[in-house]
Amino acid sequence: MTTRTLFIGMDGATFTVLNDLVAKSGEGPVMPFMAKIFDKGVRGVLRSTPNPLTPPAWVSLMTGRNPGNHGIFDFIRAEERGNDVFFTLYDSRDCKAEMLWSIASRQGKRVAALNFPFTAPPPKNLKGFMLPGFIPWRHLRRNSAPEDLYDRLKTIPDFNPKELAWDFEQEKQALDELTNEDRENWVRYHLPREKQWFCIADYLLREESPDLMAVMFDGVDKLQHQAWLFVDPNLQTGELSEYHLRMRKLCHDYFRQLDSFIEHLVTTAGPDVQVFMASDHGFTSTTEVVRINSYLHEKGYLEWKDVPDTEAGKRREDSMFAYLDWEKTIAYCRTPSSNGINIRVARNPGEAGIKPSDYETVRARLISDLEELKDPITGERIITEIHTREEVFPGASMEDAADLLLVLRDFGFVSIKNKKPVVELRAEIAGTHHPDGVFLAYGRGIKQGVVTEKCDIVDVGATLLYSLGLEVPSDLEGKVPHSIFNEDYLSEHPIVIGTPTNKHVKDNESARIEDDEKEKIMEQLRLLGYME
Amino acid sequence: MEDLVKQEKIILTVIMIIEDLVQDWELNLDEAISQETFLVNDLNFSSVDIIQLCVALEQNYERKLGFHELLMEDGKYVGDLSIQQISVFLESKLKNQ
Repeated sequence: MTTRTLFIGMDGATFTVLNDLVAKSGEGPVMPFMAKIFDKGVRGVLRSTPNPLTPPAWVSLMTGRNPGNHGIFDFIRAEERGNDVFFTLYDSRDCKAEMLWSIASRQGKRVAALNFPFTAPPPKNLKGFMLPGFIPWRHLRRNSAPEDLYDRLKTIPDFNPKELAWDFEQEKQALDELTNEDRENWVRYHLPREKQWFCIADYLLREESPDLMAVMFDGVDKLQHQAWLFVDPNLQTGELSEYHLRMRKLCHDYFRQLDSFIEHLVTTAGPDVQVFMASDHGFTSTTEVVRINSYLHEKGYLEWKDVPDTEAGKRREDSMFAYLDWEKTIAYCRTPSSNGINIRVARNPGEAGIKPSDYETVRARLISDLEELKDPITGERIITEIHTREEVFPGASMEDAADLLLVLRDFGFVSIKNKKPVVELRAEIAGTHHPDGVFLAYGRGIKQGVVTEKCDIVDVGATLLYSLGLEVPSDLEGKVPHSIFNEDYLSEHPIVIGTPTNKHVKDNESARIEDDEKEKIMEQLRLLGYME
Repeated sequence: MEDLVKQEKIILTVIMIIEDLVQDWELNLDEAISQETFLVNDLNFSSVDIIQLCVALEQNYERKLGFHELLMEDGKYVGDLSIQQISVFLESKLKNQ
């Protein structure tokens, strides 16, 4: 058996950085193999989900469906219950669309999926191997498939699950603003971590040759959140400090290592493999903090709850969760990563919120007020796009989405803190998500040296199924982009639209998270730049 | 008698799932896991570990079990749970479904 399709995910990869890393410099490009793929393959911008965020975007890539259909909108799912909001963690059981791992498995293809978020617990029909991402090391065994995979991985030299998985404790130690030393350690931390994932991918590729080998490297995103200043080629101007140059070199070491992993995997897969690479979103600079709940308070939509002047009160205030008077709040932002506004509607008598009949009027007024948030000097709108959920999240799960989705002028994530001013310049430029990610293809049947038109993230799932020689299910919103394959290949392998996916809509309700755990997750998100 | 057998079976299932869950945790347990074992105090469970145990039990019984009823008391989360408490909860849930 040989591996037919190799998929390499790079969380947060952007051409802004990759173009710089493949450029010839005095010592040659930082990523020479990526330069070869630029030259001998196809590349193009990949448009992310309306909110370019890891959970909805990777799930859209894996399902070929938009968030309105698959139902994953954020890291944390919130439910309004009476006068409180409960938070739950999303897992694969919350996904209402079939993932490509299942689609391929039930048609007899063997797949390996490593480090993809929201793949735990693995699907029961999996034919192949799965080791999910975003899972603490203590739960990797239970969430891996098949049953003996974890013990097999332990035979890999230097296999270290604690190094491989998300380390809540390590990330808990990080401060709101990292010191220079912490930031340096943060980048260093991802070098061995990515190597762990590479070694597993290499092992499975050599030992098992699955039809589809897929691995995701998420260090790109994590590094860029904390070290964007040193990575973005547009920010390397003026006199750069010794620390700045050291950090830039360290980031380049990371990308150099990633390049060698990609080259090794492509070479091991053999000359007949089709290689695809994609990111869930791109990256850009964010220059300001927008405290959206403070603005909603100013406009009378939201009321803060009084925080007692105690240790517990201080912890509550620092917890990053909106601490609101639910009786008097009709619109608020739940989590910074959502970039969304939820309108509270009283569905039953006695419940707080607006009357259902007032929804359209209140929403229109809210949109108008959000449009009025402007830069006092230039008059430019701070929120450049305001989308209703019907516009951007149509589908069976639309009701779970925020009522409004906001796009800030610098693409940053909002802050939900009770602080002033509403808009404030950041002390230092930081990295944030941009809707334009990357898509690359290379190998058998792929055109050479072509820059293709913009693709959509849902197209990747369809493309991988096609590459495996399978029909593309008719209910996928993603399409196979013809422009990346050469004519001979397309005529020998016509794209066939087949039967719809097996939907598995479930009403599973994940266990609730208590405050302590919310805190740990929020600390992770803060570290990744989703929080002020 | 039948109820006792059922309860015993549930306890054994819960213990088996927990033993599977913690096998790599390098815990130095003085005693074997039993119905008297507490998740937080004896096995060093964190909130994420409890969530994962709930997922494992729901997968085992192939149904939704509404664990929030067990995890919350008077609107607050309980501090710890014994295997006995989990088993009694499961028995009542499985009886009602």
